[in-house]
Amino acid sequence: MLPSTLLRAAVIAAFAYALVALAVLTARALSFGKRPVYARPEGSARQGVLHAFFRGMLPWEKESVAGHLPTFIAGLLYHAGVFLSLLFLFLLVFRMRSGIVLNQVLGVAIPVGLVSGLGLLIKRVTSRKMRLISVPDDAIANVIVDLFLGAAYAAAISPAFDNAFLVTAVVLFLYMPLGKIRHCVFFFYTRLVFGVFFGSRGVFPHPRRES
Amino acid sequence: MADKDKQQHAAQPERVTEAGITSALDVFRSKIDHRLAASLNSCVHCGLCAESCHYYLATGNPDMQPALKVKLLQAVYRWHLVATGKLLSPLTGAERLDQAMVQRWIDTLFGSCTMCGRCTLNCTVGLDISRLVRAGRSALVSLNLVPSELQSTVDTAVDKGNNMGIAKQEWLETAQWIEEELQQEVGDPEARIPIDQEDVRFLYTVNPREIKFFPLSLLATAKILYASDERWTFSSDCYDVTNYGLFSGDDGAAALIAGRLHETMGRLRAGMLVLGECGHGYNANRWEAPEWMATTPEYETRSIVRVIADFLRQGRIKLDPARNAKRVTLHDPCNLVRLGGVIEDQRFILKHAVADFVEMYPNREQNFCCGGGGGQLSMTTFAKRRLEAGKIKAEQIARTGAKVVVAPCHNCIDQLSELNKEYKLGVEVKTLSEVVADALVLGADTSKQRP
Repeated sequence: MLPSTLLRAAVIAAFAYALVALAVLTARALSFGKRPVYARPEGSARQGVLHAFFRGMLPWEKESVAGHLPTFIAGLLYHAGVFLSLLFLFLLVFRMRSGIVLNQVLGVAIPVGLVSGLGLLIKRVTSRKMRLISVPDDAIANVIVDLFLGAAYAAAISPAFDNAFLVTAVVLFLYMPLGKIRHCVFFFYTRLVFGVFFGSRGVFPHPRRES
Repeated sequence: MADKDKQQHAAQPERVTEAGITSALDVFRSKIDHRLAASLNSCVHCGLCAESCHYYLATGNPDMQPALKVKLLQAVYRWHLVATGKLLSPLTGAERLDQAMVQRWIDTLFGSCTMCGRCTLNCTVGLDISRLVRAGRSALVSLNLVPSELQSTVDTAVDKGNNMGIAKQEWLETAQWIEEELQQEVGDPEARIPIDQEDVRFLYTVNPREIKFFPLSLLATAKILYASDERWTFSSDCYDVTNYGLFSGDDGAAALIAGRLHETMGRLRAGMLVLGECGHGYNANRWEAPEWMATTPEYETRSIVRVIADFLRQGRIKLDPARNAKRVTLHDPCNLVRLGGVIEDQRFILKHAVADFVEMYPNREQNFCCGGGGGQLSMTTFAKRRLEAGKIKAEQIARTGAKVVVAPCHNCIDQLSELNKEYKLGVEVKTLSEVVADALVLGADTSKQRP
């Protein structure tokens, strides 16, 4: 079997492992128990959830984001680079061709994402405030994702780097459940809970403003 | 444990034993439900929450940023409650709950957090940080490491029925005095302060600080209720809207305190429980008490703020804003607004009660905590820090140019009064009822029917 075929199989296996491990982590979180809610709601949990996932995500709705636009934008670009790299990985693993347009997008978005990721890492390392709240996983996760992006960019330019890209993907998937990258699942979980809480209490969607 | 021993143990983490740690971890585990477990798995340590915290903003001290509080809780959660936690500790920063960590928890969770929820609202993910902090505080309750002044407030409420230890006789005498004052104010010798009336529309409960130090705010509310021709009552036994178990993290005490109001409601068969101007009292009794008591009350629980707003909407009271000519601004108590959902009614009232109302910025659910919540006013150990953290609120007030600050919360009023002196703001701090009572037009045509 060719090394590239083996690597493709390894990526699929690592991805499957990550999915299973994330499912186990989610089940573990759920096992902490769901308490019955006795207080009568005053607003709408459903509306709260919708708000949490849509309007509530807009930069001007969150002071923390509005006050840190460069970091927020870097984060967005970083995540965009990751998602595009994952798309590129999917095409590569299943030997599908990426079109010219996608290649052009990858050629821009991935390096921009990589630079953003490195920028966030530099911020974390150089700021005392950030160092205080950081654990080794914060840096390691960033470096692993950066390597994944770097390899994705290299593979987008030249097929000679395909195998390197596949190796970084295996590492990324194996690491995913161990540290903070698990937020790829838990972000949605927590956001859902957040929306239910504030929605039920009638805090948002933003209340009926009286003129 | 005897009271004396309790005092000796108070805030002495060096006396914590292994058995104590085990017990604290059991409590911590019991407070983590799936929602908090999700939060503990979600924090990416982005640090963007820092500027949403008045402690961090006022001091610039990174030790006070909300993410650090989460990190300390996350460390213990991972070490003790996650199967791979110890193995992966070099990676994830998992740490054992030991004396050093207990000391950090006390200083951070009690000493630099008001559980105001502003960081939760502004967290990029939406972590329930205030509830996480409370889970940590609950573990400290089991170690008897709640700062002694806060614990004493809870103990007094549990032992004496109200957090100031006011005897029933003193309460009844104050109520009698209020009745006499009310009769003079409204010129009606038949005006009454009803006590223990059954089958009325609502039971009204107050902050014991009003009885002890601010009876005029009680008089103001009584005047409004008189003008509205409402059927209501005080209870002779149960006259404490506060519940410091919310802040100490002691669910047992919180349930006991809340249960008394619940029982009184049943005994008097009142249709509604109306809570005096108290932010955390609202959060505790409206939202948390049903969870502590594991029951859904049959009656409705409302803030007096909503009741007054309804009086106005129904035309049952009439206000003359010209009687409050000075510029007025509004402080939004975190537990009433951000965590309670009572957001617009106080604004509706003020627009009818004062001539010049100006919002502070930010406001509503984004408003900054005054610094008095989370039990901080009780914990004199952290008083200096509390006043320092209040700087953000003081600056908000100063920017409005207002001469009067209205706060529908007695905790907030105490803190704002201290900030007024500390930062030389030169404002008057009033309850909403006081401002409404000042604007009240007695004898006006208020013939619209009550519900």
